[in-house]
Amino acid sequence: MATEEQEQIGEFLLDEKTLREIETMKGAGQWSIVWRRIKKDKMGMLGLYIVIFLILMAFASWILLGFDNWLTKQGALLGDPANPASLNNLYIELWLPGMPADSPLVLFQHPRHHFPELAKLPPSFAHPFGTDGIGHDMVSRIFFGATVSLALGFIGQMTTVIIGTFLGSIAGFYGGFIDEVLQRVIEILYSMPGFILMIFIIVLFEDVNIPGGRYAVVVIFFSLIGWGGTALIVRSNFFSLKQQDFVEAERALGASDMRIIFKHILPNSLAPLIIIVTLGIANTIFLFAALAFFGFGDPNAVSWGDDLNKWQNDLLDYPWMPMFPALFIFFTVLGFNLLGDALRDALDPRLKD
Amino acid sequence: MSLKGFIIRRTIYIVPVMLGITLMNFTLINVSPGDPVVVRLGLIHCDHDDCYNAAYNGEAIEMGLLDTDYYTVPWFKRYVSFVNDLLHFDLGNSWYYTQAGEGIPIAQIISERAIYTVVLNVLSFFFSLLLATAIGVVSATRQNSFWDRSLTFAMLLGYSMPLFWLAKLLMLLSFQLFNFTGVANKDAFRKPLFLNPTFYKYLILPTLALTLGGLVFMARLVRSQLLEILRQDYITTAKAKGLDNRAVIYKHAFRNGLLPIVTIIGNSLPGLLAGSVMIESVFGWPGLGTVFLEGALFRDYPMMMATNTIFPLLFLVARLLTDITYVFIDPRIKY
Repeated sequence: MATEEQEQIGEFLLDEKTLREIETMKGAGQWSIVWRRIKKDKMGMLGLYIVIFLILMAFASWILLGFDNWLTKQGALLGDPANPASLNNLYIELWLPGMPADSPLVLFQHPRHHFPELAKLPPSFAHPFGTDGIGHDMVSRIFFGATVSLALGFIGQMTTVIIGTFLGSIAGFYGGFIDEVLQRVIEILYSMPGFILMIFIIVLFEDVNIPGGRYAVVVIFFSLIGWGGTALIVRSNFFSLKQQDFVEAERALGASDMRIIFKHILPNSLAPLIIIVTLGIANTIFLFAALAFFGFGDPNAVSWGDDLNKWQNDLLDYPWMPMFPALFIFFTVLGFNLLGDALRDALDPRLKD
Repeated sequence: MSLKGFIIRRTIYIVPVMLGITLMNFTLINVSPGDPVVVRLGLIHCDHDDCYNAAYNGEAIEMGLLDTDYYTVPWFKRYVSFVNDLLHFDLGNSWYYTQAGEGIPIAQIISERAIYTVVLNVLSFFFSLLLATAIGVVSATRQNSFWDRSLTFAMLLGYSMPLFWLAKLLMLLSFQLFNFTGVANKDAFRKPLFLNPTFYKYLILPTLALTLGGLVFMARLVRSQLLEILRQDYITTAKAKGLDNRAVIYKHAFRNGLLPIVTIIGNSLPGLLAGSVMIESVFGWPGLGTVFLEGALFRDYPMMMATNTIFPLLFLVARLLTDITYVFIDPRIKY
């Protein structure tokens, strides 16, 4: 507790709490300090929990759907592996030790299987999120839609960041002509509203047949046009770092350019990159959901955006059908935004309000 | 150099960027799979190949892909003629919007529809700027108070809400409260537009949605900029010499905070334009955004090409205005 005298002198004396904080941080690595700061940020932790929950959900649904035959053979899922028409094609069932084999716990229905007689049911115990217009169980659609919705955001953002980092490093390190060209290209890419340019590209390239379907085209073009922001930030970081002494020292030791770029300067500009990735995933997921909402997604894919697109006009009559996919998109974007803000505050406390 | 020289230089600078953008669009159309002529012909009914070939060649000549001797026109010639047409404000005829079997000239469609987009965007931009300033000032001056916390949290929620879904929710809310969904119909756009009370009635919900969309991220910016400035030494000086809070904030802090805010708002304009496309589409507002989206859904190539030229142009002009605004806000800026 600060004494009265300390309070009078005001900010110039460190109170006990700050002193203790300095004590604990002595000798700690950068990442453990960052982690400690995030742990203190309640909103940031909430974001982290949301993100972890969603990632686990996406992984679980991917494994359950992608490896269902293998899991059945291992005995984790019920069903006859020899008979392709067994229950396993309709339900994802969980076998827990001690449960009778003839009444398995039906966790989720197969996302592509629908029961026409069960269409448009409001939320109930059997279907917590209700059923949609042609009889899909909404919980199952949401659960299995997590894979595509999150994977698109991750892959799209990671590729743009990798391309942007590479080009930004080269331009920032060498400067000169390469830098000029890169800046002009970014200028052009930046003048196009991303959403509008993506629609233009999707319409032009919707007939392309590549593995992965229409979303593969979307991700490829997204990463080809979206790297400008990352490249600019990495470039300016390189400009300020390349004149510093540790780079000079490394050069005097005879290190190659590539070694200096990737071993020495890049790790020093990692903090902004982490922030770009986290906040960028939120924007990317939002962009892909928006594209799907306006009919430029893949109608055959199981994803939140496409479900939202299918049932958007039923909002007034059957509000649960579009509401739950939209809610999950909202939570995902919120989680990544909260985590990104917390990471920004923790990695660069100067920016903190 | 004079201010006039600066403005002229910045205006001329738009030209190479626009050339780059049109070249990119042009290349994208050219490398995309599928034959635009086949798309254009659609399900034409032909008994034998000769009839189809004749129709195909006729269409290709009309589209400028073949010359009159049935030779393929090289791409750079087509690009030069495209830019030439563009400079004469000839954007070609639409494939989707037709009148008596003939495509309506795109320039005509755009000049008719632009007014709706402009009214919607200018109104909501103005409102969101005003509200964002108010919210930012309230939050920054009472940092960590109840109001600051709840406003910041509300802004974060709004920031994470997909804009198109926010519009849908507004629609649902208005339907429950007033039995009015706000989806535009023909009555709303009867001429004369600005004397038509129905027009204003249908303007409310789209403007509200777009205002909220812009507001949530502008308010965050205003708050963080103001907070940074309030920590500067000259603010302490201003307080120390006995100025009241109002004068400190509006005369000293806010003016200096304007510059970064103007920068970021200028850079975020493509986002606002994209938001306007979404809002227009949800509410059936017949502006440029709806024209663009419908054209895209029905593969109206000339229309997409035209809108993809106009949106960047609007953005570049807006950024030019931002740059000119700088000079007036900050006397230190050299041009």
